[in-house]
Amino acid sequence: MTDSYTVVGKSFQRIDGIDKVTGTARYATDLKFENMLYAGLLRSPHAHARVSRIDTSAAQKLPGVKAVATLFDVPKVVQYWFFLRTEKKKEQMFLYDNIVRFIGDPVLAIAATSVDTLKKALSLVSVEYEPLKAIHDPNIALKETEVSIHKKGNIAFKVNKEFGNIQEGFKAADIIVENTYHTSKQKHAGMEPIGTCVASFQSNGRLTVYSSTQLPHWSRHYLAKALDLSLNRVRVIKPFTGGAFGGRCGVIHGLEVMTSYLSRETLRPVKMSFTREEDFSATETRHPMTIRMKTGATKEGIITANEVEILSDTGGYGTHYIGVIADCMSTGIGLYKIPNYSFSGIVVYTNKSMCGAFRGYGNPQMNFAQESQMDIIAREIGMDPMALKLKNYREEGEMDPVLNQRILSNGLEECLTKGARSCGWEEKRSKLPGNDSIKKGIGLSIMLHGTGAARALPDPASATIMINSDGTANLHTAAADEGQGNRTVLAQIAAEILGIEFKDILVSETDTDITPLDCGTHGSRQAYCGGLSVRDAAMDARKKMLAHAGKRLMVTPDQLMIKNGRIFEKTNPENYISIKDLMQKIQIRDMGVCEQIIGSASGIAPAMPGYYGAVFAEVEVNTQTGEVKVIKLTSAYDVGKAINPEMVKGQIVGGGIMGIGYALTEGLQLEDGHILNPNFTDYRLLRSCDIPKIEPIIVESNEPTGPFGAKGIGEGSMVNIASAISNAICHATGVRLTDLCITLEKILQGLKKIKCG
Amino acid sequence: MKKTDIRVNINGEWHDLTVTLQDRLIDTLRDQMGLTGTKEGCGEGECGACTINLNGKAVLSCLMLSVQADGAEIQTIEGLQNGLDLHPLQTAFLSESAVQCGYCTPGMIMAGHALIKQDPDPDEKTVKTCLANNLCRCTGYEQPVKAVLKAAREMRRKTND
Repeated sequence: MTDSYTVVGKSFQRIDGIDKVTGTARYATDLKFENMLYAGLLRSPHAHARVSRIDTSAAQKLPGVKAVATLFDVPKVVQYWFFLRTEKKKEQMFLYDNIVRFIGDPVLAIAATSVDTLKKALSLVSVEYEPLKAIHDPNIALKETEVSIHKKGNIAFKVNKEFGNIQEGFKAADIIVENTYHTSKQKHAGMEPIGTCVASFQSNGRLTVYSSTQLPHWSRHYLAKALDLSLNRVRVIKPFTGGAFGGRCGVIHGLEVMTSYLSRETLRPVKMSFTREEDFSATETRHPMTIRMKTGATKEGIITANEVEILSDTGGYGTHYIGVIADCMSTGIGLYKIPNYSFSGIVVYTNKSMCGAFRGYGNPQMNFAQESQMDIIAREIGMDPMALKLKNYREEGEMDPVLNQRILSNGLEECLTKGARSCGWEEKRSKLPGNDSIKKGIGLSIMLHGTGAARALPDPASATIMINSDGTANLHTAAADEGQGNRTVLAQIAAEILGIEFKDILVSETDTDITPLDCGTHGSRQAYCGGLSVRDAAMDARKKMLAHAGKRLMVTPDQLMIKNGRIFEKTNPENYISIKDLMQKIQIRDMGVCEQIIGSASGIAPAMPGYYGAVFAEVEVNTQTGEVKVIKLTSAYDVGKAINPEMVKGQIVGGGIMGIGYALTEGLQLEDGHILNPNFTDYRLLRSCDIPKIEPIIVESNEPTGPFGAKGIGEGSMVNIASAISNAICHATGVRLTDLCITLEKILQGLKKIKCG
Repeated sequence: MKKTDIRVNINGEWHDLTVTLQDRLIDTLRDQMGLTGTKEGCGEGECGACTINLNGKAVLSCLMLSVQADGAEIQTIEGLQNGLDLHPLQTAFLSESAVQCGYCTPGMIMAGHALIKQDPDPDEKTVKTCLANNLCRCTGYEQPVKAVLKAAREMRRKTND
């Protein structure tokens, strides 16, 4: 491999772009089959209740109703895929027992011949509930002994870790800053509602499921287990998906099982789709957290201690609640070399809609608290926040104590210096807010996020590549593309190694019959983990091609190069054979020879490299109204190597806008377990008229374990936006906000407090 | 359910359709005509994914009854390209990286299409205001706005040629 790549590092257009701009791309919501039934769920109107009786007789009599499944007859499935191997947790299930634990918790499912019949049938079911006392406040859940949301109590998980000696750390500090932060219940809100799948169970025992899942192979494993089928009988196809952001790797698996069960009962294809309101109120959200943080530092700007206590509210059920709180710890500790660090986390159940994986996976919450603390310390000791960060961040070569791995690439310093130069940080930060009612400010925040999960979970990836007799190739990977463009990036990696043109790679659909085992798309892993498997599969194919070429060119394979569709002798490029020619010969033309070149690879990534970012946010705050206007984000991210720079920029800009939403406008509002804003009018996503200028800066630190040096980007781009904006608001007004999202009222209250001293 | 006949021109061709009085236009297009390029994101007129052009104007097909479209000329995303040739808006959405998951894309393109018809030389603010009806969770809007501006330029250039 040389540095002069022909395909890697170039911004090719996405391979599925034409399907998407012409309307021919089929999403799960678009699928329709002969004889298909429509399924839907009856949902609990109570936040906490015991279901004592279900009468479905009237619904079952309705012509067109083909199957009814209540919580008493549905196979159970563990939703949290972490437990696929250990199976310790049994309580996170779909229609799990006769208790409903949030408003919207499913009680039964019906399959009918039309949507109208389905609606009517659902309205004919009568359910008797015995209401139980509901717990809405995580602090009460923690203390409550009388009411237990799950059999084992209200505490889902606890973690305590101390690194160094926290008391000694505070003793060594000149100043100690302590605050409590609250974060909001943000919704993924991808444009295709979560919860769409079509299942078709046939008399021959074959099950095919079309699901907008992030984890097609894990979906397949759940389905096989729940319906007692062998894996080869279960086929999961992931069609085009309307955004995921972590929302399609938890509750969706229960839905797939339910839909498949209904299909097995009726031997007809069954389609389940959630409405937007169901998406908002009965699928996972980001975990709201209360984070108490006490940070000590010397006046020279050495952070000596950080003590963190988190109370995370996972709602009535949990998916990913352990991973999310563990990520709070690993990203917080991993970013700075604070010698004394104590972390305690508790996850509780409450009678609210469940929480799960969401872009950033605990990191946005943790980052908001920790980067606010760093900003406060910088102000208190009179130091530039950027200098404070440069003094304390964990550099390349150091050990990450949580993930227990050495940092092999860290481009944070370059992110900081390039970003600062580009936005004019020093000048803008040193400016005093004037006397105008509109105050300008600039804030900085940095972040670290892990690529993949190889240090924490089984995290397999595989790929196969077939080289055709015309020199083109078919790449098979289950690296589910939710819109990020990872299939395009993987095609680039394959093309580069095979020495063929990008357009000559065709990436298969994600289909577990064809695409080999991959744990799916999560944890910003596909350019890295997927990339490694594709790289190695391509290397395998290339090795086989070189062996054939060597024989024909009368040299050993190590003397050969492959580039621009040709295999040639390094020292004598005139001695060459085109790949097309070679493939023709060994697959079609030559007598007595046939080799379909197939390259394959699978494995677990050797590391979980951190990728880094620095965001400089510029805001204007209207001190009369409390209105915050984000003027510009300068977002510099170290992605190792940008295989496709335009796609990296797409993640930085898109994540930036999602981050602004998290900071300023987004969050589900609940009252007694009722979600007050389950729609796009009341839950406010940013729109095109709201967007500031975002300047994406790509830094390439070249991760030695990554394919061509690449690591992740997908999640990190939203992680440190809210903290940067909050720090900018404080710079502009002196108001320190500790609660997300930052509303006008909170700013006005803060200003009033300052005024009153 | 009471049914009625309507006559609509969809992507240049007249169709006689039988619909119920309750049928939404989006369902007639998607279920009856198989034109699933038009997407449903909310069903309440808030997200813009179902935007189509009706008599040249951008409308939300989830908020419209099929009977209201009787006699109208409808254009959906499927009607934009000419054979294998993409419409300048489609080309621009690709070249400006304005497409990620693609679910909002048809609605965005149809919103842009109606805008350019009305205002062949829109400025950035006009495009941003127009696309404000269309939610996108992936791109952050910057690229779709650029794409509409680029397509408008391209279409003006073609008209002037």
